[in-house]
Amino acid sequence: MRRADQIAGAGLLLLGLGFAVAGLRSYTYWSPTGPGSGFLPFWLGLTMMLLAGSLLVRSTRGGGLDVAWLPTGRGRRKLLAVLGVTVALVAVLKVTGMAVGTVLFLVAILRLVEGLRWSSTLAIAVGTAAANYLIFARWLRVPFPEGVLGF
Amino acid sequence: MDFLANLTLGFSVALTPFNLLMAAAGVTIGTLIGALPGVGPVSGVALLLPLTFGMNPVSGIIMLAALYAGSMYGGTITSVLINTPGESASVVTCIDGYQMALQGRAGPALGVAAIGSFVAGTVGVVLLMLMSPLLARWALSFGPPETFALMLLGLTTVTGLTGEDALKGYVSMVLGLMLAMAGFDIISGDARFTFGVTEMLDGVEFLPVAIGLFGLGEVLVGAEQVADMRILRARYGLRDVMLTAADWARSRWAIVRGTALGFVIGVLPGAGPTIASFLAYTLEKKVSPHRQEFGRGAIEGVAAPESANNAASSAAFVPMLTLGIPGSATTAVMLGGLMMWGLRPGPLLFEKNPDFVWGLIASLYLANVMLLVLNIAFIPMFVRALRIPYAVLMPLIIIFCVTGAYSLNNKVWDVGVMLVFGVLGYAMKKLGYSPAALTLALVLGPLAERALRQSLIISDAGVAIFFMRPISAVLTLLALAAVAVPAARALRQAVRGRAPAEAA
Repeated sequence: MRRADQIAGAGLLLLGLGFAVAGLRSYTYWSPTGPGSGFLPFWLGLTMMLLAGSLLVRSTRGGGLDVAWLPTGRGRRKLLAVLGVTVALVAVLKVTGMAVGTVLFLVAILRLVEGLRWSSTLAIAVGTAAANYLIFARWLRVPFPEGVLGF
Repeated sequence: MDFLANLTLGFSVALTPFNLLMAAAGVTIGTLIGALPGVGPVSGVALLLPLTFGMNPVSGIIMLAALYAGSMYGGTITSVLINTPGESASVVTCIDGYQMALQGRAGPALGVAAIGSFVAGTVGVVLLMLMSPLLARWALSFGPPETFALMLLGLTTVTGLTGEDALKGYVSMVLGLMLAMAGFDIISGDARFTFGVTEMLDGVEFLPVAIGLFGLGEVLVGAEQVADMRILRARYGLRDVMLTAADWARSRWAIVRGTALGFVIGVLPGAGPTIASFLAYTLEKKVSPHRQEFGRGAIEGVAAPESANNAASSAAFVPMLTLGIPGSATTAVMLGGLMMWGLRPGPLLFEKNPDFVWGLIASLYLANVMLLVLNIAFIPMFVRALRIPYAVLMPLIIIFCVTGAYSLNNKVWDVGVMLVFGVLGYAMKKLGYSPAALTLALVLGPLAERALRQSLIISDAGVAIFFMRPISAVLTLLALAAVAVPAARALRQAVRGRAPAEAA
């Protein structure tokens, strides 16, 4: 956690600097009528630099043990698997369409990550895709991404 | 009788078949969401918000408000039977609730929670109804400086109270304000921080952010936990949840005290049901004649916090409806919903949309009645739902997050934004930052910026304008105090050379 705080502090310090500079140079800080579009970004940037600086100082001076905050072992594998499959779903959504994408996503998670039986996996996957379609696409009329198969 | 006419209007809205259906759906889903560990009221409201787009705003808010009330009831079930809080406002209920269940008294624990919640929820709505119009009338006289000072106070108090680490809370808040800067600037027309991406012209939209932080983010935190939970075998049928005369005598005043304290805490911007439940437990432990039994299954230890969290959840609507400042993370997400439906929260809401405000108030009465029935007669049904393994629930929630984010503009871009904020939400939660403060800042950011710039335009004395008008001066000073007090404490600790305890 200490290392994470240091990294976050440094990153946020740069973000604050970027905002402050953009507030002065890219946008109008003060217009003839009053504060312009760069006014608040500039002050937010300065505030963030102050906060991030405090975070950096505190985490560096804090000392003590660096407590791990990311999971290890099985927890990490599961987290990464779930995240990976979710990213994959978003990436292929336009190709597969929502319905097929939902089924593939649920099969990947339930069967491959969680190790459910095929019968339960397929029942849940198809049932969810159908319910999702009925609620959103039919009832709420959200035009779902259709994918190459046309649904 | 102004109130009577308003209330009649409210019930005429709330009692239409569709709105009744939405209230019933809201309380049922809310109780479920409250009961399931890992999804709380904020996630529930964020996830169901997309469902309301096609609806009339009144029906939408009725469902979401019923869900919020329901989650306060449902959280108890998990606290008592599994010793794991279903949501944060029921954390403290675990202490005596689970002890009661171990002693075979799960029924009375659940019963007193349902009755206490009903009393507190109903009294809370009555007070909400009496107080809001007065507050709204007072707030009508607010100009830009008062509006800005009020938002500043809302932002600083939420931030100071929600996080375990004040510094990281303020970092989260400023990050939220920075995100709010992206997109077209309403006053000058400049496109800010868009980096040439067309989708960024509309700014960072609130809904994918909220779904990411509170939906996907929470699920990811849950995904890495491998352990399964065990449900205590207990009796909680209709006959088991009835209170004995002795139970009732002991819990009566705990419910009254919990209700009063919960409402007062809930009205304050920034302090919501969670804080109210902790304070009510502490208070009860001090004043109860049975204080030595606390921690070993005292029924007051369930009655007081469960009443307080319901009173506070009703009270949280007071600042949200009248001032446009949410009193809790959940009402912050609802506030975002209000804006998406095209309503402007604040004092004018009572004049311009009386059907909305009074329909909401009337359905809160109905929701509490439905919840009392649901949480006395149907507990076994909700316990059965708890047996759904998290392994199955988790991917279903993710699908809901993806669909919900997509349905905003029918664009995969929003799903991507949701994903990014899901990962950010995971990291923020694990590292002790405050997703609630970020969300609130993102919602209030554009309004606060406009009020700030308008104030400075009309001012002859620069920022001194905030101290020259009495109401805005008081509010600004309070906001500054909310920042200065924790900052001074941290500084004193640093000077003494002691590192502040790392938030785990």
